[in-house]
Amino acid sequence: MSKQTSGPWRWAEALLERLLPEGTRETIVGDLREEFVEGIEPRRGRLWAQFWYMRQVASFILWFIREGEGMGKVLMALSAVVLACACWLAVMETILRHEGYAGRIAEALGIGAICAATILVKMLHAGLVVERWLWLGAGTLIVLGATAFLHNERAAHFEGFVMVISLLLLTQGELMLATMGRRNNGQNSVV
Amino acid sequence: MADLLGTFEQSVLLAIFGLGAEAYGRAVLNRVQETLERDVAAGAVYATLERLEARGLVRSRLEVGTTVRGGRARRYYLLAAEGERALGDTRRALTAMWNNVQLPAQEGR
Repeated sequence: MSKQTSGPWRWAEALLERLLPEGTRETIVGDLREEFVEGIEPRRGRLWAQFWYMRQVASFILWFIREGEGMGKVLMALSAVVLACACWLAVMETILRHEGYAGRIAEALGIGAICAATILVKMLHAGLVVERWLWLGAGTLIVLGATAFLHNERAAHFEGFVMVISLLLLTQGELMLATMGRRNNGQNSVV
Repeated sequence: MADLLGTFEQSVLLAIFGLGAEAYGRAVLNRVQETLERDVAAGAVYATLERLEARGLVRSRLEVGTTVRGGRARRYYLLAAEGERALGDTRRALTAMWNNVQLPAQEGR
């Protein structure tokens, strides 16, 4: 009877189920549960087994990133870079507190939130409807990118960093529109 | 000759061959870990299995799952003729490459 209550944390198993494409979900989650209950937990204890399971979940995240369809992989990488830039910008604005910093922090956090949502939605196969909501985020990034690019072009002091960031935002927004919320956009090409 | 197999692909194919009718995901994972004598991430094994199947080197079939799996199906793998050929080609190429090679550090052992 005790075996029926044993097993990986439910949230970890649910996360793995969301990460995997439909065709492989059942067999892989079943294999790992079996290994957890019959192999790892009896030998190494429950806590170690949970740690082992989380490591396996992490390995599937790497699988997703490596095996995903081309444009999807570019979008993931770009989202991660822009997310890192947005976080860095928010931290620097918080430290330096130049005039109007609150608005710029809000803008950076907004961009970061769109990037984080893009990564999560792609990784967790949230579905076409959720992906289409992110078209709003894509539009926001394109507007922000274009505005920053044009302002920088007309400014007295041209900033190379602003140009790079604005081009990144434009590219990410366009990639999001091109790859998200469309059928056969590579969600199942992970396998 | 087809592209040569990598070490990890060889170990997965040899595990499937060695396990015979018992070659399902978990068993392959454990056999690969035994062979390579290290912990291997499940994601790496399943990604390799998917890739090998897409290349036609292995075939798979589904069977009903057990209670401990929460009733989830098991996928059993079988070495395809193409996989056997790829393993043979790789072995021949490696043997030819190492033929008459004696590394200085190995001499006298």
